[in-house]
This record gives sequence, structure tokens and C-alpha cells, in this order.
Amino acid sequence: MRLEPTMKQAVIRRSVRKFSERRLIAAAVEMDKTEQFPWDIAEEMAGLQYFGLEIPATYGGAGLDSVSTAIVIEEISKANAAMGLCISVHNGVAASPVYLFGNAEQHRRFLNPLAQGKKIGTFCLTEPNAGSDASALETNAIRDGGDYILNGNKVFVTNGGISGINLIFAKTRADGKDLGFSVFIVESEREGLEKGPIEDLMGMRGNPVCPLSLRDCRIPLENRLGDEGGGLKIALSTLGGGRLGIAAQALGIAQASLDASIKYAKERRQFGKAICDFGAIQDLLAEVGTRIEASRLLTHRACDLREKGKKYTMESAMAKVYASEIAVEATRVGVQIHGGYGYTKAYPIERFYRDAKVCEIYEGTSEIQRVVIARELLKG
Amino acid sequence: MEIVVCIKQVPDVPTVRMDRERMTIIREGVESVINPLDYIALEAALELRQKAGGHVCIITMGPVQSEVALREALAVGADQAILLTDPDFAGADTLATSHVLARAIQKIEPFPDLILCGMQTTDSDTGHVGPQIAEELGLPQVCGVNEIHREGKFLVVKRLSDGFVDTVKVTLPTLLTVTKGLCPVRDLPLGALEAAFSTKDVLEWNMTDLDLKKEEVGFAGSATQVRRLRTPPPRGSGDIIEGPPDVLVGHLLRRLEALSILDEEDEKK
Repeated sequence: MRLEPTMKQAVIRRSVRKFSERRLIAAAVEMDKTEQFPWDIAEEMAGLQYFGLEIPATYGGAGLDSVSTAIVIEEISKANAAMGLCISVHNGVAASPVYLFGNAEQHRRFLNPLAQGKKIGTFCLTEPNAGSDASALETNAIRDGGDYILNGNKVFVTNGGISGINLIFAKTRADGKDLGFSVFIVESEREGLEKGPIEDLMGMRGNPVCPLSLRDCRIPLENRLGDEGGGLKIALSTLGGGRLGIAAQALGIAQASLDASIKYAKERRQFGKAICDFGAIQDLLAEVGTRIEASRLLTHRACDLREKGKKYTMESAMAKVYASEIAVEATRVGVQIHGGYGYTKAYPIERFYRDAKVCEIYEGTSEIQRVVIARELLKG
Repeated sequence: MEIVVCIKQVPDVPTVRMDRERMTIIREGVESVINPLDYIALEAALELRQKAGGHVCIITMGPVQSEVALREALAVGADQAILLTDPDFAGADTLATSHVLARAIQKIEPFPDLILCGMQTTDSDTGHVGPQIAEELGLPQVCGVNEIHREGKFLVVKRLSDGFVDTVKVTLPTLLTVTKGLCPVRDLPLGALEAAFSTKDVLEWNMTDLDLKKEEVGFAGSATQVRRLRTPPPRGSGDIIEGPPDVLVGHLLRRLEALSILDEEDEKK
């Protein structure tokens, strides 16, 4: 087992870091303040293939391996968590399932623009009454000749305000029979789909999260992704990869927080010396540093299993829950090390704290991740 | 136009740390990158190729780990990459390094129209290698170039020297060392990096391939040796004096007088 990044992965990390430091750090402050998504930067990122990380070159993607993908998302999130979220969700739970479950025609119509960053993707599972309990979905798709008629409401749609292609999960019914749930590719301009107002969020404020509603939205059969009733299979396979994206994102936020804390602790002087010379501060840094390293190993190990086509359900849940909790802890400790200044917007650490929290919630809460882990542990 | 670009891997740190016993740069635990001016040379080569056609070949001399720099250069857009590596190349000074590079350039077919190097490296900063290659190959050379234009069979290049801009018309084949401002360095698409590491080849040439003898290369082939290393004394941060202009002028005059910097003539004025 290889625990060190390969030459390629090291160069990819450096390359993404260079871009992120130059283009994304300052933008993060603006995005948090104005809640505006920077389309000009997104366009540059599309040119550098950030919107098709694991998608093969034939569709315009970069064709990266899973560990490299995690490294890219970590580095982007380290500079700009809201942009990291956009990239993570677009790649992990929108482009990836269209690639894995789409047919050739769907690849041409939807995967090409997704992979090339011409359209931004969303994954719409969560509803007002269905989140962790996906079986409670109320959005329905009723067969009507060769079409489906979709009705329902989706909430907390990441990338919602900027999306061009949306994956909608809906209960499929035909002739009064329940056929399980299916996934539909719905273009943002399609009649019957409406986007609600952007949520006023605690963190990740540059990412326009909003509700989507479907009112008699007519979808042709060609837009159904995978089999009728095959939604659960798509959801389960997609969420594993999605969790790795969130783990990588959390890792980026945690690392940014540790880097900022180290810098501040070296600069800030009290009682005649830098505060990093005090044991109490060193304890905090050591604990956070150790746990970040552990989350990185967990994340890359799960990525490695995914890359090899092995089962990684438990490992991705472990990586997600551990990395997201250390992100919250690292940013909490970061604010503490910064003292009063950490509570002001003069330093980015307060934003990191706000950005980190949602990592414990979306793509399966920490509680749900533990259910997944325990279920896997008890299987044997 | 056939172009060869010579690159070197350097430590990616603001300040290089030295091993005082071995008189060498500490490379352990430090990530290596393509020397920034060599990167500019590479971008300039690709710009010329875009205008004039031809090929860009990248060469470097170094341990096997230097392959990573060549692969990055392939990702940037180079057509071919050659690693000059042999245990006997270790310990080379700039002369022994130039000798190996020159021999490799002679082996490349067809012989290049243009050889580009960065003007100097961030680690040893000598600026020797480019000129020494040109001398060994008997080629014209222009150092510190920050603008290149093609004019028929010639290149017209510009360089800054002592505050003036020199414009030099040079015949091909030639060797240029380049400096900042020549062309921008672009961000790399991720797919190009992926392809450079997974589908492209890096050629390897050792001493036998280059028909070199032990005494010509590495430590044995070096004309210089590092005898002593010392760090120059740090520059002081200077004193900051605050106050209204008349007080400041008086203060400044007293300080200059105390240092005997002002002579009587100046004082009279």
C-alpha cells in the first residue's frame, strides 16, 4: 500500500495550490461578503478542467484518479470553501453519475457540457420532509405516454442558483403502480422547473444554495438517467463518491485553519514571547495537526479503494465523518488561538469556522455516517 | 524551428539551506520545482513553436527524480523530454554540467536551431551554464533576453543592460538565456498533467549513451570546488525617525555628520 502521493499527485497539488492562492483566496472574502458567484473565475477553472476532474478526456474532462481528485478539492477548499463546494458537488454527485449511468446520447447532451464547465450541475435529493430518510421522498414522476410529469419540491440545492443541469430524484409511478424512485436530468430552462430565492446561509455564502420546485414539469424519456426505479442504486453509488468530496473539502478547511493558526501563533506576542512558545497553544496545534493527517490518510485510502473498483462505503463514511468533525474542531481551535481577533472579520478564521459546520450536515449527517459505519461493521 | 530548452530542478523555498559539511544544497524534505526562469524559457519556446512550427525538446541533467520536472514540462506542452542521468554525473560544477548538456544537444537530431536556458537558477545563481554550452558548441549567444522576434533567418532579441535596452540580431543556430518579462507563465489544465504522467515517455541517456568518460563528468570533470560557505551578515532593518520635517532634517544632518558622510563643500551649500 502506498501512503505517499505519487509524483503526479504532488505536481497536481502544487499546480492547484498556485492557481488557488492567486485566484481564489481574495475571491473567498468577496463571495462571503456579497454572496455573488464569480463567473469569471469559474470560467478560468473550466478552462483548466476543474469541472471534469474524473471524467475521461474524450468528454473534455481531466481523467484524474480519485486521490488526485481529492487533492484538487482539498486545495481549492483550502483557499475558498464555497468554490470547493461548487466543484465537489458538481464533480462528485452531478457529472459522475451522468458519466456512470448515462447512455451515449446523454453523454453527448449532458456530460460534455458538465465536464467542460459549460453547465454547472446539481444533485436534488433533499426535500422539506425527506433528508436523511430518503424513502420519504414526495416528488413524483408519473408516466404520461413517452414522457414523465414531475411534481414536487427540492430544498437546499447546492449550486442551485448557478446550475444548468439538475439531477432530480423522484418516485416513479405508472398506471397507479409504485415503481420505486428514478433520477431525471432536468435542464434549468425546462418549463415547469422554478428556482426559489437563494438561502441566507451561515457559511459557504458564495455558493448559491436554493430550493427548486417542479410544477407539471414534462420530462422526455431520454432524460431519465439509468433504469426506471433505479434511483436507489444511483443514489447509493453516487453518495459514496460525494462523501469523499466533502471529506476532501473539510480537509482543506481544516488545513487552512491550521496554517492560519500557526502563522498567527508565531506572530502574536504575549508575556514577552510568541504565543506558539506556550505549551497550551502547542497542545492545540499538535492535536489538530495529528487529526488532519489522520483524516487525509482515511480520505486517500477510501479514494484508493474507489479507484481500484473495490467497495468503499464504510471507508468513505469514516473519512467524511472524521474529516468534517476535525474541520469544525480545527476552526474552533483556530478562533480560540486567534483570541479576540479571531472573532472579528479582520481574519479569515471566523469564516472558516462558519464554513466548516455544514460539512457535518450535508451529504449525510455525522449521525447517518455512523449508522452506515456501524451497519458495515456489524455485517461480518 | 527546432528548439531545445535546458531546465533544472530547484528547491521550492524562498531561501536555500546549505549542508555546510558537504558544501551542497539541502534537497531532502524540500519539494523541487522547475527553475522559474527555465519555466519562462519553456513558455517562450512554445510561443515560438506556435508561430514558426517545429518541435520543443526539454533536457535536464540530474538524478532520476528529475523526471518529474520533465513530465511537468511535457504537461506545459513540450514535444519530447530527455533525462540525462548517471551516478557519475553527481557532484558536477557548472562546467561539467554544461559539458553533459552540450553533448546531449549534439546527439539530438536534427541539431536545434535554438537553445534556450533560464539566465540563472534560484539555487546556485551563477548564470554559467547557458554561456558554457554555447562556447562548447561554438554557437553565438545572447544572455538575459526579455524579448524575441523572428526576422527571416535571424532572431532579433532584446536585453536590458545597465539601464539600456540592447537590440541584437543573431544568426541561427544560437543559444539564448532568458529572463523575467519575456512571456507569462500559464496555469496548467489538469488533463495535461494527467496525460504527461500517464501516457507520455521520458527518454533517459546515461554516460554510455552520450559517449562520455568518467573524468569528463561529475565531480571528476569539475574545474571548481566549493572551499567555504558563509552567510552574508543580515542587513539591518534601519531606523525609523518620526516628527515634523524641520526636526527630521536636523536629525538627518546630525546623523550624516556623525558618519562623516558630508564633506565641508556640501555643508557650505
